[in-house]
Amino acid sequence: MHHLYSSLFKRPFLWFVILLAFLCTGQPKAIGQTNTKGIDFFSGVDFNFRDINYKTQYEFLIRLSPGFKWSFGDHWQISGQVFIPIVNQYGNSYKYVHLNIFDLSKELRLGSLYLKASAGLFSSSRYGLDLKAFLPLCDWFAFEGQAGVIGSVYMTPYWEIVAPNRFVGTIGGDFYLPRWNTQFRGTIGKYIYNDFGFEMEIMRHFNHATASIYGRWNNYDKFDAGFRFVIALPPYQRKHRMVNFRPASNFRISYTVMYHQYTNRMYRTDPEENERDGWFSRDFLQWGSHTMEPDFRIIEMNKKAKGDKE
Amino acid sequence: MKHFNIIIVLLLLWVLPNNSKAQQYTGTSGLIHIPSAEMHHEGDALIGAHFLNKNMMPDIGFLYNGEKYNTFDYYVGLTPFSWLELSYVCTERIRSKDSQGNIKWSKDRYASVKIQPLKEGKYYPAVAIGCNDVWTAAFYKDRPNVQLYYMNLYIAATKHFIFSNNELGVTLSYRHFYRDYNSKWNGIVAGITFRPAFFPQARLIAEYTGNEFLLGMDMLLWQHVRLQASMKNFKYVNAGLCLQFNLLGKKYLY
Repeated sequence: MHHLYSSLFKRPFLWFVILLAFLCTGQPKAIGQTNTKGIDFFSGVDFNFRDINYKTQYEFLIRLSPGFKWSFGDHWQISGQVFIPIVNQYGNSYKYVHLNIFDLSKELRLGSLYLKASAGLFSSSRYGLDLKAFLPLCDWFAFEGQAGVIGSVYMTPYWEIVAPNRFVGTIGGDFYLPRWNTQFRGTIGKYIYNDFGFEMEIMRHFNHATASIYGRWNNYDKFDAGFRFVIALPPYQRKHRMVNFRPASNFRISYTVMYHQYTNRMYRTDPEENERDGWFSRDFLQWGSHTMEPDFRIIEMNKKAKGDKE
Repeated sequence: MKHFNIIIVLLLLWVLPNNSKAQQYTGTSGLIHIPSAEMHHEGDALIGAHFLNKNMMPDIGFLYNGEKYNTFDYYVGLTPFSWLELSYVCTERIRSKDSQGNIKWSKDRYASVKIQPLKEGKYYPAVAIGCNDVWTAAFYKDRPNVQLYYMNLYIAATKHFIFSNNELGVTLSYRHFYRDYNSKWNGIVAGITFRPAFFPQARLIAEYTGNEFLLGMDMLLWQHVRLQASMKNFKYVNAGLCLQFNLLGKKYLY
Protein backbone atom coordinates (compact mmCIF):
# COMPACT_ATOMS: atom_id res chain seq x y z
CA MET A 1 0.00 0.00 0.00
CA HIS A 2 2.81 2.33 0.87
CA HIS A 3 4.28 1.67 -2.54
CA LEU A 4 0.98 2.61 -4.18
CA TYR A 5 0.82 5.94 -2.33
CA SER A 6 4.39 6.84 -3.12
CA SER A 7 4.03 5.96 -6.79
CA LEU A 8 0.89 8.13 -6.99
CA PHE A 9 2.66 11.10 -5.50
CA LYS A 10 5.68 10.59 -7.73
CA ARG A 11 3.47 10.48 -10.82
CA PRO A 12 1.16 13.46 -10.61
CA PHE A 13 -0.22 12.72 -14.05
CA LEU A 14 -2.00 9.76 -12.54
CA TRP A 15 -3.88 12.12 -10.29
CA PHE A 16 -5.28 13.85 -13.25
CA VAL A 17 -6.28 10.67 -14.95
CA ILE A 18 -8.19 9.82 -11.78
CA LEU A 19 -9.77 13.27 -11.67
CA LEU A 20 -10.77 13.11 -15.31
CA ALA A 21 -12.18 9.64 -14.83
CA PHE A 22 -14.22 11.01 -11.95
CA LEU A 23 -15.44 13.84 -14.11
CA CYS A 24 -16.36 11.55 -16.98
CA THR A 25 -18.31 9.20 -14.78
CA GLY A 26 -20.08 12.15 -13.22
CA GLN A 27 -20.92 13.80 -16.52
CA PRO A 28 -24.37 12.27 -17.05
CA LYS A 29 -25.46 13.86 -13.79
CA ALA A 30 -23.99 17.22 -14.65
CA ILE A 31 -26.40 20.10 -14.60
CA GLY A 32 -25.27 22.44 -17.29
CA GLN A 33 -26.44 26.01 -17.66
CA THR A 34 -26.38 27.27 -21.18
CA ASN A 35 -24.13 30.26 -21.40
CA THR A 36 -24.36 32.73 -24.22
CA LYS A 37 -22.65 31.67 -27.38
CA GLY A 38 -20.33 34.07 -29.08
CA ILE A 39 -16.81 35.20 -29.37
CA ASP A 40 -15.40 38.22 -27.54
CA PHE A 41 -12.25 40.00 -28.57
CA PHE A 42 -10.87 42.31 -25.92
CA SER A 43 -7.76 44.06 -24.83
CA GLY A 44 -6.43 45.50 -21.63
CA VAL A 45 -3.08 46.46 -20.22
CA ASP A 46 -0.85 44.29 -18.09
CA PHE A 47 0.83 46.84 -15.84
CA ASN A 48 3.79 45.86 -13.68
CA PHE A 49 6.30 47.87 -11.72
CA ARG A 50 8.97 47.00 -9.20
CA ASP A 51 11.42 48.71 -6.93
CA ILE A 52 14.33 46.38 -6.48
CA ASN A 53 17.43 48.49 -7.07
CA TYR A 54 18.70 51.97 -6.35
CA LYS A 55 19.61 52.84 -9.92
CA THR A 56 16.06 53.69 -10.90
CA GLN A 57 12.98 54.84 -9.08
CA TYR A 58 10.87 52.07 -10.49
CA GLU A 59 11.19 49.61 -13.32
CA PHE A 60 8.15 49.19 -15.49
CA LEU A 61 6.78 46.44 -17.62
CA ILE A 62 3.70 47.48 -19.54
CA ARG A 63 2.17 45.11 -22.03
CA LEU A 64 -0.92 45.16 -24.16
CA SER A 65 -2.93 42.05 -23.40
CA PRO A 66 -5.33 41.39 -26.28
CA GLY A 67 -7.27 38.18 -26.03
CA PHE A 68 -10.40 36.34 -26.97
CA LYS A 69 -13.01 34.10 -25.39
CA TRP A 70 -15.04 31.83 -27.59
CA SER A 71 -18.03 30.42 -25.74
CA PHE A 72 -19.75 27.71 -27.70
CA GLY A 73 -22.50 26.78 -25.30
CA ASP A 74 -23.02 24.69 -22.22
CA HIS A 75 -20.11 26.50 -20.57
CA TRP A 76 -17.47 25.26 -22.93
CA GLN A 77 -14.94 27.91 -23.74
CA ILE A 78 -11.72 28.41 -25.64
CA SER A 79 -9.72 31.42 -24.57
CA GLY A 80 -6.45 32.96 -25.57
CA GLN A 81 -4.30 35.95 -24.77
CA VAL A 82 -1.14 37.49 -26.15
CA PHE A 83 1.27 39.82 -24.35
CA ILE A 84 2.72 42.61 -26.46
CA PRO A 85 5.42 44.59 -24.63
CA ILE A 86 5.13 48.36 -24.85
CA VAL A 87 7.51 49.40 -22.09
CA ASN A 88 10.02 46.88 -20.81
CA GLN A 89 12.56 47.64 -18.12
CA TYR A 90 12.46 44.12 -16.71
CA GLY A 91 15.06 42.61 -19.01
CA ASN A 92 15.46 40.67 -22.21
CA SER A 93 13.28 37.75 -21.33
CA TYR A 94 10.26 40.06 -21.26
CA LYS A 95 10.83 41.77 -24.58
CA TYR A 96 9.12 39.23 -26.80
CA VAL A 97 5.55 39.09 -27.99
CA HIS A 98 4.28 35.80 -26.70
CA LEU A 99 1.20 33.74 -26.12
CA ASN A 100 0.19 33.98 -22.49
CA ILE A 101 -2.91 31.79 -22.39
CA PHE A 102 -4.50 29.40 -24.86
CA ASP A 103 -6.75 26.77 -23.36
CA LEU A 104 -10.03 24.92 -23.42
CA SER A 105 -12.21 24.96 -20.34
CA LYS A 106 -15.51 23.59 -19.21
CA GLU A 107 -17.63 24.51 -16.21
CA LEU A 108 -19.91 21.89 -14.80
CA ARG A 109 -21.89 21.15 -11.72
CA LEU A 110 -22.22 17.96 -9.77
CA GLY A 111 -24.88 18.46 -7.14
CA SER A 112 -23.67 21.42 -5.14
CA LEU A 113 -20.07 21.00 -6.30
CA TYR A 114 -18.97 23.43 -9.00
CA LEU A 115 -16.09 22.36 -11.19
CA LYS A 116 -14.01 23.93 -13.90
CA ALA A 117 -11.58 21.84 -15.89
CA SER A 118 -9.02 23.44 -18.18
CA ALA A 119 -6.38 22.12 -20.51
CA GLY A 120 -3.80 23.98 -22.52
CA LEU A 121 -1.40 26.84 -22.04
CA PHE A 122 -1.87 28.80 -18.82
CA SER A 123 -0.31 32.03 -17.63
CA SER A 124 3.07 32.17 -15.89
CA SER A 125 4.51 30.06 -18.73
CA ARG A 126 2.82 26.88 -17.57
CA TYR A 127 0.79 24.33 -19.47
CA GLY A 128 -1.06 21.19 -18.58
CA LEU A 129 -4.33 20.22 -16.97
CA ASP A 130 -6.14 22.07 -14.25
CA LEU A 131 -9.22 21.42 -12.17
CA LYS A 132 -10.89 23.94 -9.93
CA ALA A 133 -13.61 23.07 -7.46
CA PHE A 134 -15.93 25.20 -5.38
CA LEU A 135 -18.33 23.83 -2.82
CA PRO A 136 -20.69 26.38 -1.24
CA LEU A 137 -22.07 25.03 2.03
CA CYS A 138 -24.24 28.08 2.68
CA ASP A 139 -24.49 31.74 1.66
CA TRP A 140 -21.50 32.65 3.74
CA PHE A 141 -19.11 29.72 3.62
CA ALA A 142 -17.59 27.63 0.87
CA PHE A 143 -14.69 25.29 0.33
CA GLU A 144 -12.45 25.74 -2.67
CA GLY A 145 -9.66 23.78 -4.25
CA GLN A 146 -7.47 23.76 -7.29
CA ALA A 147 -5.24 21.03 -8.64
CA GLY A 148 -3.03 20.92 -11.67
CA VAL A 149 -0.48 18.86 -13.47
CA ILE A 150 1.83 21.27 -15.21
CA GLY A 151 4.94 21.64 -17.25
CA SER A 152 6.65 24.87 -18.25
CA VAL A 153 7.10 26.51 -21.62
CA TYR A 154 9.15 29.66 -22.19
CA MET A 155 8.49 31.22 -25.58
CA THR A 156 11.63 33.26 -25.96
CA PRO A 157 13.45 32.73 -29.32
CA TYR A 158 15.05 29.74 -27.68
CA TRP A 159 12.02 27.76 -26.70
CA GLU A 160 12.32 25.85 -23.52
CA ILE A 161 9.77 23.20 -22.73
CA VAL A 162 9.62 20.96 -19.71
CA ALA A 163 7.19 18.04 -19.76
CA PRO A 164 4.28 18.06 -17.29
CA ASN A 165 5.87 16.62 -14.21
CA ARG A 166 4.71 18.81 -11.38
CA PHE A 167 1.64 18.46 -9.26
CA VAL A 168 0.40 21.73 -7.79
CA GLY A 169 -2.69 22.65 -5.90
CA THR A 170 -4.38 24.75 -3.29
CA ILE A 171 -7.19 24.08 -0.90
CA GLY A 172 -9.01 26.43 1.39
CA GLY A 173 -12.18 28.17 2.39
CA ASP A 174 -14.09 31.38 1.79
CA PHE A 175 -16.22 33.34 4.24
CA TYR A 176 -18.52 35.90 2.71
CA LEU A 177 -20.39 38.50 4.74
CA PRO A 178 -23.17 39.78 2.44
CA ARG A 179 -24.12 42.71 4.62
CA TRP A 180 -20.65 44.20 4.27
CA ASN A 181 -19.75 42.65 0.91
CA THR A 182 -16.63 41.40 2.57
CA GLN A 183 -14.88 38.14 1.81
CA PHE A 184 -12.20 36.28 3.77
CA ARG A 185 -10.22 33.78 1.76
CA GLY A 186 -7.64 31.40 3.14
CA THR A 187 -5.73 28.74 1.21
CA ILE A 188 -2.79 26.46 1.69
CA GLY A 189 -1.00 25.05 -1.27
CA LYS A 190 1.91 23.80 -3.23
CA TYR A 191 2.75 26.35 -5.86
CA ILE A 192 4.29 26.38 -9.32
CA TYR A 193 7.88 26.83 -8.16
CA ASN A 194 7.49 23.83 -5.87
CA ASP A 195 7.18 25.90 -2.69
CA PHE A 196 4.64 25.26 0.04
CA GLY A 197 2.75 27.97 1.83
CA PHE A 198 -0.49 29.63 2.71
CA GLU A 199 -2.27 32.86 1.91
CA MET A 200 -4.96 34.88 3.67
CA GLU A 201 -6.85 37.62 1.89
CA ILE A 202 -9.54 40.02 3.05
CA MET A 203 -11.54 41.52 0.22
CA ARG A 204 -13.98 44.39 0.34
CA HIS A 205 -16.20 44.41 -2.72
CA PHE A 206 -17.55 47.76 -3.86
CA ASN A 207 -19.81 48.66 -6.77
CA HIS A 208 -17.30 48.22 -9.57
CA ALA A 209 -14.13 47.53 -7.65
CA THR A 210 -12.64 45.25 -5.07
CA ALA A 211 -9.86 46.21 -2.71
CA SER A 212 -8.04 43.63 -0.65
CA ILE A 213 -5.11 43.16 1.67
CA TYR A 214 -3.32 39.88 1.95
CA GLY A 215 -0.60 38.16 3.89
CA ARG A 216 1.21 35.01 2.92
CA TRP A 217 3.93 32.63 3.97
CA ASN A 218 5.99 30.06 2.19
CA ASN A 219 8.82 27.75 3.05
CA TYR A 220 11.44 29.70 1.02
CA ASP A 221 10.84 33.42 1.43
CA LYS A 222 8.73 33.29 4.58
CA PHE A 223 6.37 36.23 5.08
CA ASP A 224 5.07 38.70 2.58
CA ALA A 225 2.06 40.98 2.42
CA GLY A 226 0.43 43.43 0.09
CA PHE A 227 -2.72 44.85 -1.28
CA ARG A 228 -4.66 44.46 -4.47
CA PHE A 229 -7.24 46.34 -6.50
CA VAL A 230 -9.52 44.83 -9.12
CA ILE A 231 -11.48 47.41 -11.03
CA ALA A 232 -14.25 46.54 -13.48
CA LEU A 233 -13.69 48.66 -16.55
CA PRO A 234 -16.43 50.62 -18.29
CA PRO A 235 -18.60 50.67 -20.31
CA TYR A 236 -20.90 48.94 -17.81
CA GLN A 237 -23.64 48.49 -20.36
CA ARG A 238 -22.67 46.25 -23.22
CA LYS A 239 -24.37 44.84 -26.25
CA HIS A 240 -23.72 41.17 -26.91
CA ARG A 241 -23.68 39.70 -30.41
CA MET A 242 -22.07 36.64 -31.88
CA VAL A 243 -18.86 38.63 -32.37
CA ASN A 244 -17.96 41.33 -29.88
CA PHE A 245 -15.13 43.79 -29.48
CA ARG A 246 -14.71 45.35 -26.08
CA PRO A 247 -12.19 46.50 -23.50
CA ALA A 248 -10.97 43.97 -20.95
CA SER A 249 -13.53 43.34 -18.23
CA ASN A 250 -11.16 44.41 -15.45
CA PHE A 251 -7.89 45.98 -14.49
CA ARG A 252 -6.07 44.17 -11.71
CA ILE A 253 -3.06 45.44 -9.85
CA SER A 254 -1.37 43.69 -6.99
CA TYR A 255 1.32 45.16 -4.73
CA THR A 256 3.64 43.06 -2.61
CA VAL A 257 5.88 44.57 0.02
CA MET A 258 8.76 42.10 -0.36
CA TYR A 259 8.69 41.32 -4.08
CA HIS A 260 8.98 37.57 -3.70
CA GLN A 261 8.69 36.82 -7.37
CA TYR A 262 8.97 33.06 -7.26
CA THR A 263 6.88 32.02 -4.30
CA ASN A 264 3.17 31.61 -3.57
CA ARG A 265 2.49 31.81 -7.28
CA MET A 266 -0.16 30.02 -9.29
CA TYR A 267 -1.05 30.29 -12.94
CA ARG A 268 -4.30 31.60 -14.34
CA THR A 269 -6.43 29.71 -16.81
CA ASP A 270 -8.63 32.57 -17.97
CA PRO A 271 -7.32 35.83 -19.47
CA GLU A 272 -9.73 37.83 -17.30
CA GLU A 273 -9.52 35.76 -14.12
CA ASN A 274 -9.48 37.88 -10.99
CA GLU A 275 -10.16 37.70 -7.28
CA ARG A 276 -13.34 39.75 -7.50
CA ASP A 277 -15.17 37.33 -9.79
CA GLY A 278 -13.46 34.14 -8.70
CA TRP A 279 -13.00 31.21 -11.04
CA PHE A 280 -16.53 30.69 -12.27
CA SER A 281 -18.75 32.74 -14.54
CA ARG A 282 -21.45 34.78 -12.96
CA ASP A 283 -24.40 33.02 -14.56
CA PHE A 284 -23.05 29.68 -13.38
CA LEU A 285 -22.26 30.25 -9.72
CA GLN A 286 -24.20 32.77 -7.64
CA TRP A 287 -22.12 33.06 -4.53
CA GLY A 288 -20.09 35.81 -2.92
CA SER A 289 -19.60 38.88 -5.06
CA HIS A 290 -21.79 37.27 -7.73
CA THR A 291 -24.79 38.01 -5.51
CA MET A 292 -24.10 41.73 -5.75
CA GLU A 293 -25.37 44.00 -8.51
CA PRO A 294 -23.59 42.89 -11.68
CA ASP A 295 -20.78 45.07 -12.98
CA PHE A 296 -22.05 44.78 -16.53
CA ARG A 297 -25.53 45.02 -17.91
CA ILE A 298 -25.53 42.86 -21.02
CA ILE A 299 -28.07 43.49 -23.73
CA GLU A 300 -28.48 40.39 -25.90
CA MET A 301 -28.72 41.68 -29.47
CA ASN A 302 -29.22 38.18 -30.97
CA LYS A 303 -32.31 37.47 -28.91
CA LYS A 304 -33.57 40.96 -29.51
CA ALA A 305 -33.19 40.52 -33.26
CA LYS A 306 -34.98 37.16 -33.12
CA GLY A 307 -37.73 38.69 -31.02
CA ASP A 308 -38.15 41.47 -33.56
CA LYS A 309 -38.58 38.96 -36.36
CA GLU A 310 -41.13 36.96 -34.41
CA MET B 1 9.63 88.35 -0.91
CA LYS B 2 9.46 87.71 2.78
CA HIS B 3 5.73 87.16 2.56
CA PHE B 4 5.78 85.31 -0.75
CA ASN B 5 4.95 81.94 0.86
CA ILE B 6 2.07 83.43 2.80
CA ILE B 7 0.68 85.01 -0.35
CA ILE B 8 0.88 81.70 -2.22
CA VAL B 9 -0.94 79.82 0.53
CA LEU B 10 -3.60 82.52 0.85
CA LEU B 11 -4.10 82.46 -2.90
CA LEU B 12 -4.47 78.68 -2.82
CA LEU B 13 -6.91 78.94 0.04
CA TRP B 14 -8.96 81.55 -1.72
CA VAL B 15 -8.93 80.16 -5.23
CA LEU B 16 -9.36 76.47 -4.59
CA PRO B 17 -12.80 75.63 -3.61
CA ASN B 18 -15.13 70.78 -1.23
CA ASN B 19 -14.46 68.78 1.90
CA SER B 20 -11.30 67.68 3.31
CA LYS B 21 -10.45 66.14 6.60
CA ALA B 22 -7.06 64.79 5.84
CA GLN B 23 -3.71 64.41 7.48
CA GLN B 24 -3.19 64.29 3.82
CA TYR B 25 0.48 63.40 3.48
CA THR B 26 -0.21 60.05 5.16
CA GLY B 27 -3.23 59.26 3.00
CA THR B 28 -5.50 59.19 6.03
CA SER B 29 -7.85 61.66 7.66
CA GLY B 30 -6.58 64.13 10.21
CA LEU B 31 -5.46 67.72 10.33
CA ILE B 32 -2.07 68.68 8.85
CA HIS B 33 0.59 66.95 10.90
CA ILE B 34 -1.55 65.65 13.73
CA PRO B 35 -4.15 62.89 13.70
CA SER B 36 -7.81 63.49 14.46
CA ALA B 37 -10.76 61.17 15.14
CA GLU B 38 -12.52 62.12 11.91
CA MET B 39 -12.78 59.52 9.18
CA HIS B 40 -13.18 59.62 5.45
CA HIS B 41 -16.46 58.38 4.02
CA GLU B 42 -16.93 54.64 3.63
CA GLY B 43 -15.68 53.61 0.20
CA ASP B 44 -13.35 56.57 -0.31
CA ALA B 45 -10.18 55.69 -2.18
CA LEU B 46 -7.32 58.17 -2.49
CA ILE B 47 -4.20 58.39 -4.54
CA GLY B 48 -1.98 61.43 -4.26
CA ALA B 49 1.33 63.12 -3.64
CA HIS B 50 2.50 65.73 -1.16
CA PHE B 51 5.38 68.17 -1.12
CA LEU B 52 7.10 68.02 2.26
CA ASN B 53 9.16 70.93 3.42
CA LYS B 54 12.42 69.87 5.06
CA ASN B 55 11.21 71.48 8.26
CA MET B 56 8.42 68.92 8.41
CA MET B 57 10.76 65.96 8.16
CA PRO B 58 12.12 63.77 10.95
CA ASP B 59 15.53 64.85 12.23
CA ILE B 60 17.38 61.84 10.89
CA GLY B 61 16.91 59.63 7.87
CA PHE B 62 16.20 62.51 5.53
CA LEU B 63 19.66 64.10 5.57
CA TYR B 64 22.14 64.49 2.75
CA ASN B 65 25.64 65.70 3.57
CA GLY B 66 24.34 66.40 7.04
CA GLU B 67 21.51 68.69 5.87
CA LYS B 68 17.81 68.22 5.64
CA TYR B 69 16.20 68.56 2.24
CA ASN B 70 12.76 69.14 0.78
CA THR B 71 11.13 66.02 -0.52
CA PHE B 72 7.77 64.54 -1.35
CA ASP B 73 5.72 61.47 -0.73
CA TYR B 74 2.95 59.63 -2.54
CA TYR B 75 0.31 57.30 -1.26
CA VAL B 76 -2.83 55.26 -1.73
CA GLY B 77 -5.54 55.24 0.89
CA LEU B 78 -8.81 53.40 1.36
CA THR B 79 -11.72 53.54 3.77
CA PRO B 80 -13.24 50.05 3.41
CA PHE B 81 -15.64 50.66 6.30
CA SER B 82 -16.80 53.78 8.07
CA TRP B 83 -14.66 52.79 11.07
CA LEU B 84 -11.45 51.75 9.31
CA GLU B 85 -8.88 53.58 7.20
CA LEU B 86 -5.83 52.08 5.55
CA SER B 87 -3.05 53.74 3.62
CA TYR B 88 0.34 53.01 2.14
CA VAL B 89 2.93 55.76 1.75
CA CYS B 90 6.30 56.09 0.02
CA THR B 91 8.50 59.02 1.07
CA GLU B 92 11.40 59.83 -1.21
CA ARG B 93 14.94 59.97 0.21
CA ILE B 94 18.06 61.20 -1.53
CA ARG B 95 20.48 58.31 -1.78
CA SER B 96 23.23 59.98 -3.78
CA LYS B 97 24.01 62.82 -6.15
CA ASP B 98 26.44 62.71 -9.03
CA SER B 99 28.70 65.57 -10.07
CA GLN B 100 26.02 66.96 -12.39
CA GLY B 101 23.59 67.14 -9.49
CA ASN B 102 21.45 64.26 -10.68
CA ILE B 103 19.78 62.67 -7.69
CA LYS B 104 19.27 58.99 -7.06
CA TRP B 105 16.31 58.44 -4.81
CA SER B 106 15.32 55.68 -2.49
CA LYS B 107 12.12 55.29 -0.52
CA ASP B 108 10.90 55.00 2.99
CA ARG B 109 7.68 53.00 2.92
CA TYR B 110 5.05 52.60 5.57
CA ALA B 111 1.47 51.45 6.02
CA SER B 112 -1.02 53.20 8.27
CA VAL B 113 -4.12 51.94 10.04
CA LYS B 114 -6.77 54.02 11.74
CA ILE B 115 -9.77 52.67 13.63
CA GLN B 116 -12.68 54.67 14.98
CA PRO B 117 -14.31 52.63 17.78
CA LEU B 118 -16.57 55.51 18.86
CA LYS B 119 -18.48 57.73 16.46
CA GLU B 120 -19.22 61.31 17.42
CA GLY B 121 -22.42 61.83 19.38
CA LYS B 122 -24.40 64.84 20.46
CA TYR B 123 -22.58 65.11 23.76
CA TYR B 124 -19.39 63.18 23.26
CA PRO B 125 -16.53 63.24 20.77
CA ALA B 126 -15.49 60.69 18.19
CA VAL B 127 -12.51 58.63 19.29
CA ALA B 128 -9.96 57.01 17.00
CA ILE B 129 -6.77 55.06 17.49
CA GLY B 130 -4.14 54.52 14.87
CA CYS B 131 -0.64 53.53 13.94
CA ASN B 132 1.76 54.60 11.22
CA ASP B 133 4.22 52.05 9.87
CA VAL B 134 2.26 49.06 11.08
CA TRP B 135 4.39 46.44 9.28
CA THR B 136 7.64 47.60 10.85
CA ALA B 137 5.95 48.04 14.19
CA ALA B 138 4.72 44.46 14.08
CA PHE B 139 7.91 42.75 12.93
CA TYR B 140 10.99 44.98 13.28
CA LYS B 141 10.52 47.52 16.03
CA ASP B 142 12.93 45.77 18.40
CA ARG B 143 15.80 45.84 15.91
CA PRO B 144 17.81 48.99 16.67
CA ASN B 145 19.26 49.25 13.16
CA VAL B 146 15.80 49.41 11.57
CA GLN B 147 14.73 53.02 11.21
CA LEU B 148 11.18 53.91 12.06
CA TYR B 149 10.95 57.44 10.76
CA TYR B 150 7.22 57.65 10.86
CA MET B 151 6.23 54.94 13.28
CA ASN B 152 3.86 56.31 15.86
CA LEU B 153 0.80 55.32 17.82
CA TYR B 154 -1.97 57.69 18.70
CA ILE B 155 -5.37 58.12 20.23
CA ALA B 156 -7.45 61.09 19.16
CA ALA B 157 -10.75 62.68 20.15
CA THR B 158 -12.63 65.13 17.93
CA LYS B 159 -15.84 67.06 18.58
CA HIS B 160 -17.62 69.40 16.24
CA PHE B 161 -19.80 72.33 17.23
CA ILE B 162 -22.29 73.94 14.87
CA PHE B 163 -23.25 77.59 15.11
CA SER B 164 -25.10 79.46 12.37
CA ASN B 165 -24.28 76.54 10.07
CA ASN B 166 -20.60 77.14 10.61
CA GLU B 167 -18.69 74.18 11.96
CA LEU B 168 -15.97 74.37 14.57
CA GLY B 169 -13.97 71.23 15.20
CA VAL B 170 -11.75 70.62 18.20
CA THR B 171 -9.21 67.81 18.25
CA LEU B 172 -7.12 66.57 21.13
CA SER B 173 -4.70 63.71 20.57
CA TYR B 174 -2.00 61.84 22.37
CA ARG B 175 0.77 60.61 20.10
CA HIS B 176 3.86 58.55 20.73
CA PHE B 177 6.69 58.09 18.23
CA TYR B 178 8.63 54.92 18.82
CA ARG B 179 12.14 56.32 18.18
CA ASP B 180 13.69 59.11 20.25
CA TYR B 181 14.60 61.22 17.22
CA ASN B 182 10.95 62.13 16.75
CA SER B 183 10.24 62.68 20.41
CA LYS B 184 9.63 66.38 19.79
CA TRP B 185 6.24 65.38 18.38
CA ASN B 186 5.34 63.16 21.32
CA GLY B 187 2.67 63.84 23.89
CA ILE B 188 -0.48 65.94 23.72
CA VAL B 189 -1.14 67.57 20.37
CA ALA B 190 -4.19 69.62 19.48
CA GLY B 191 -5.89 71.51 16.72
CA ILE B 192 -8.99 73.38 15.71
CA THR B 193 -10.78 73.47 12.39
CA PHE B 194 -13.34 75.85 10.99
CA ARG B 195 -15.70 75.13 8.13
CA PRO B 196 -17.58 78.27 7.05
CA ALA B 197 -21.29 78.05 6.27
CA PHE B 198 -20.92 80.02 3.06
CA PHE B 199 -18.31 77.63 1.71
CA PRO B 200 -18.48 74.30 3.57
CA GLN B 201 -16.20 72.52 1.13
CA ALA B 202 -13.22 74.23 2.64
CA ARG B 203 -11.72 73.86 6.06
CA LEU B 204 -9.30 76.11 7.89
CA ILE B 205 -6.90 74.40 10.25
CA ALA B 206 -4.69 75.55 13.09
CA GLU B 207 -2.71 73.01 15.07
CA TYR B 208 0.05 72.49 17.55
CA THR B 209 2.18 69.45 16.83
CA GLY B 210 4.02 69.35 20.14
CA ASN B 211 6.90 71.34 18.67
CA GLU B 212 5.52 73.87 16.24
CA PHE B 213 2.36 75.62 15.05
CA LEU B 214 0.87 74.97 11.66
CA LEU B 215 -1.80 76.84 9.74
CA GLY B 216 -3.45 75.54 6.65
CA MET B 217 -6.48 74.78 4.64
CA ASP B 218 -7.84 71.88 2.67
CA MET B 219 -10.71 71.31 0.30
CA LEU B 220 -12.15 68.96 -2.27
CA LEU B 221 -12.60 70.25 -5.81
CA TRP B 222 -15.19 68.80 -8.12
CA GLN B 223 -15.71 65.95 -5.63
CA HIS B 224 -12.55 64.23 -6.82
CA VAL B 225 -9.54 66.50 -6.35
CA ARG B 226 -8.39 67.04 -2.80
CA LEU B 227 -5.91 69.79 -1.99
CA GLN B 228 -4.14 70.81 1.14
CA ALA B 229 -1.74 73.68 1.72
CA SER B 230 -0.16 74.61 5.00
CA MET B 231 2.59 76.63 6.60
CA LYS B 232 4.75 75.82 9.54
CA ASN B 233 5.50 78.80 11.76
CA PHE B 234 4.25 81.11 8.96
CA LYS B 235 7.32 80.29 6.88
CA TYR B 236 7.58 76.81 5.47
CA VAL B 237 5.05 75.66 2.90
CA ASN B 238 3.76 72.12 2.46
CA ALA B 239 1.20 71.27 -0.18
CA GLY B 240 -0.37 68.21 -1.69
CA LEU B 241 -2.92 67.02 -4.18
CA CYS B 242 -4.76 63.76 -4.40
CA LEU B 243 -7.51 62.18 -6.44
CA GLN B 244 -10.44 60.84 -4.49
CA PHE B 245 -13.12 58.40 -5.61
CA ASN B 246 -15.97 56.89 -3.67
CA LEU B 247 -16.10 53.23 -4.68
CA LEU B 248 -19.69 52.92 -3.43
CA GLY B 249 -20.63 55.57 -5.97
CA LYS B 250 -21.79 58.09 -3.38
CA LYS B 251 -21.28 61.80 -3.71
CA TYR B 252 -20.46 64.04 -0.80
CA LEU B 253 -20.21 67.79 -0.53
CA TYR B 254 -17.57 67.25 2.13
